[in-house]
Amino acid sequence: MKIAKTKSLCTVSLNMTPMIDMVFNLLIFFILTSQFAQLETEEVVLPLSTTATTKDYTEFRNVVINIKNKDGAGEIIVFHRPFTPPELTEHLKQLKESAVGRIMNVILRADADVPYEDVARVMLAAGAAQIQGWWITTEIEKKDEARGGT
Amino acid sequence: MKFKKPAEPAKMQPPMTPMIDCVFNLLIFFILTPSFALSEGFLTTNLPTSSGPVPGEKQLTEVRLKIELFNVGRSGEQEDDGKNEFVSIIFNETQNLGSNFAALRSALEDKRSQGVAATTPILISPTMGCRHKWVVRAFDAAVAARFTNIQFAVPYQ
Repeated sequence: MKIAKTKSLCTVSLNMTPMIDMVFNLLIFFILTSQFAQLETEEVVLPLSTTATTKDYTEFRNVVINIKNKDGAGEIIVFHRPFTPPELTEHLKQLKESAVGRIMNVILRADADVPYEDVARVMLAAGAAQIQGWWITTEIEKKDEARGGT
Repeated sequence: MKFKKPAEPAKMQPPMTPMIDCVFNLLIFFILTPSFALSEGFLTTNLPTSSGPVPGEKQLTEVRLKIELFNVGRSGEQEDDGKNEFVSIIFNETQNLGSNFAALRSALEDKRSQGVAATTPILISPTMGCRHKWVVRAFDAAVAARFTNIQFAVPYQ
């Protein structure tokens, strides 16, 4: 009598080495390609405000103007490029021409310790380019937790 | 007769050590990389159109409340070091409020309760060296007192 041998079940064992290689590949890919997008904004210490609110700015053609605090004076930076006020007026006029059909809006991100003179110059430059929207960016502060000066 | 023992299936446990290493790598990456973005808010205003007043042009209005901001040193007076990072508020050309913006807000609210209209122009007139944060605080006080027409004085060109 032939007795059939019971076939030994072969267990599939997962070969881990290629999987680890793939995981590391993916890891390195995502580490190197992830960019933390904040293209237009510079590092600026914003002033505090209790009445500021978050707003939807997507309906406007926005220009973010940063004024960084450089040794007590303001430095105007738009898209990582420094500007003087006349250059800024020209730049804003060009942007306004190309923004057909959309309202132009200036979003100002001025450092809290910048002298008013520099902010006023940017305001005048924007007015000369006939831009009407003027938004001042601040850090939102809750009324009851008001800090940072009286 | 020889009975063969059925061959025991080869057991292999997937090695867990490298998998744990990978998981910890990913965990550390995702813990360290995100940063909390502070919530930025906006104070929305409009600049006057070209048909409006130009800098240097005197604008005559019937009633206007003026908030003057002077940059001063710690003593409350202008100091020679050029820093002058504190502020002195003069409201309506008469009231000296020191650096107290809460008092400024109260003074503005008092004006409202006395019947001054919300559309009355408020002129914020900082000195050129006054810090931006004090100007924003004065603007805040005017908005909190529910005034709608707030103007900034600009330097002569």
